[in-house]
Amino acid sequence: MAEQQQQPKHKRTISRYLQQSHERIFENNRKWVESKTRSDPEFFAKLSAGQSPEYLYIGCADSRVPANEIMGLDAGEVFVHRNIANMVPNTDLNVMSVINYAVRHLHVKHIVVCGHYTCGGVKAAMTPADLGILNPWLRGIRDVYRLHEAELDAIPDEKAKYDRLIELNVVESCRNIIKTAAVQQSYQDNQYPIVHGWVFDLKDGLLKDLKIDFEAMLEGIKKIYNLASSPDRRASTTD
Amino acid sequence: MTVTTNSFDRILAGNAIFARRLTLREPELLAKTAKGQAPEVLWLGCADSRIPETTICDCKPGDIFVHRNIANILTPDDINSASVIEYAVGFVKVNRVMVCGHTKCGGANAAMGDDDLGDILNTWLEPMRALRRQHKSELDKLLTADAKANRLAELNVFRSLEVLKQNPIVQKAMAERGLTLHGLLYDIPAGELLVLEDGKTHVTATTETQHRLNR
Repeated sequence: MAEQQQQPKHKRTISRYLQQSHERIFENNRKWVESKTRSDPEFFAKLSAGQSPEYLYIGCADSRVPANEIMGLDAGEVFVHRNIANMVPNTDLNVMSVINYAVRHLHVKHIVVCGHYTCGGVKAAMTPADLGILNPWLRGIRDVYRLHEAELDAIPDEKAKYDRLIELNVVESCRNIIKTAAVQQSYQDNQYPIVHGWVFDLKDGLLKDLKIDFEAMLEGIKKIYNLASSPDRRASTTD
Repeated sequence: MTVTTNSFDRILAGNAIFARRLTLREPELLAKTAKGQAPEVLWLGCADSRIPETTICDCKPGDIFVHRNIANILTPDDINSASVIEYAVGFVKVNRVMVCGHTKCGGANAAMGDDDLGDILNTWLEPMRALRRQHKSELDKLLTADAKANRLAELNVFRSLEVLKQNPIVQKAMAERGLTLHGLLYDIPAGELLVLEDGKTHVTATTETQHRLNR
């Protein structure tokens, strides 16, 4: 009985807490607008004229890796796609349309794939468990493991092995981006975009550049994945 | 800060500043996020560079779980957004899902017409074009291209909320632990985040914003 009486009060507390967290976002938003307008009265007028970001960022959905914050970039500077474990499956219409739009319409100069150590998605992918709808998405990470099985199996330390798989997953996403017609054709015509692979370290907040050799990777995949020229080169129609 | 002409070096310099600030001013936040995440909110928004969710909400790393795609389109058969929703709602256990559309949306503008944007983008935008056809009479009444695209962006948010309501993991979390769904519209010219309610249009917008959105 006592428990039954407490239940509604408990629920009220939770709902009040949630309401506050919800309101906080709107309050913060107003504060941000004020501070931006104070330092640059034209800030929002410039943004409403359009966007011309130099970067496309493809990163993890993880709340601890906010793209603009970790790069020190402002609103308008980076086009962003975030999904579970920063994957770039070549049959995924969602990420493919982001790349296509960023390359063919926004003409971004750099594409960054950013993973992060202690990635829950990579961890989940290597867990021998049925995770429902996540299975097909995370299977891509198991494929990365299979592609680099010899290297990964040779790492005795489990933590080091997990870190390396996170890095290799970023490299594979970069390779998948380079496989697209949009990137190959734009690079052939304009010498951009360049693809970069990074890993964010939650321990110190620093980005580690995996220093992917873009030119070499592009050359390397061309034997099999060359889409630089298509019979009619219909502008912006393929990927 | 050294001014670098190379746009890539600039980012790494920006990150060094971010990391130093975090280490010096908020070491406890850094230590907390290194341990794990417990964000309150899942944000489903547009990839548009002008809407960095954490920045516009003046939030911190660890506050918002994020998926962003072209025109914040949600369809039940998209495995990319579906896996984000599954992970955020089922495992991370966020308390709120916010779908955020925005004014001046390139995707909404493109969906107002039938220009050939290439196979990939045509296919991706089709649900939004279908929405435009479905609401033709309402959209026809609006006077400007901006007003039409803004209304389509709103309708797209409502459609996404419907997709979420039909998602089994979302239904379960709503019933069992009070997960709530919210529709938002970010107005780029004002930098303002507006709450959308039940199919109505920009209810909390200031008079000035409403005037502009309807123009």
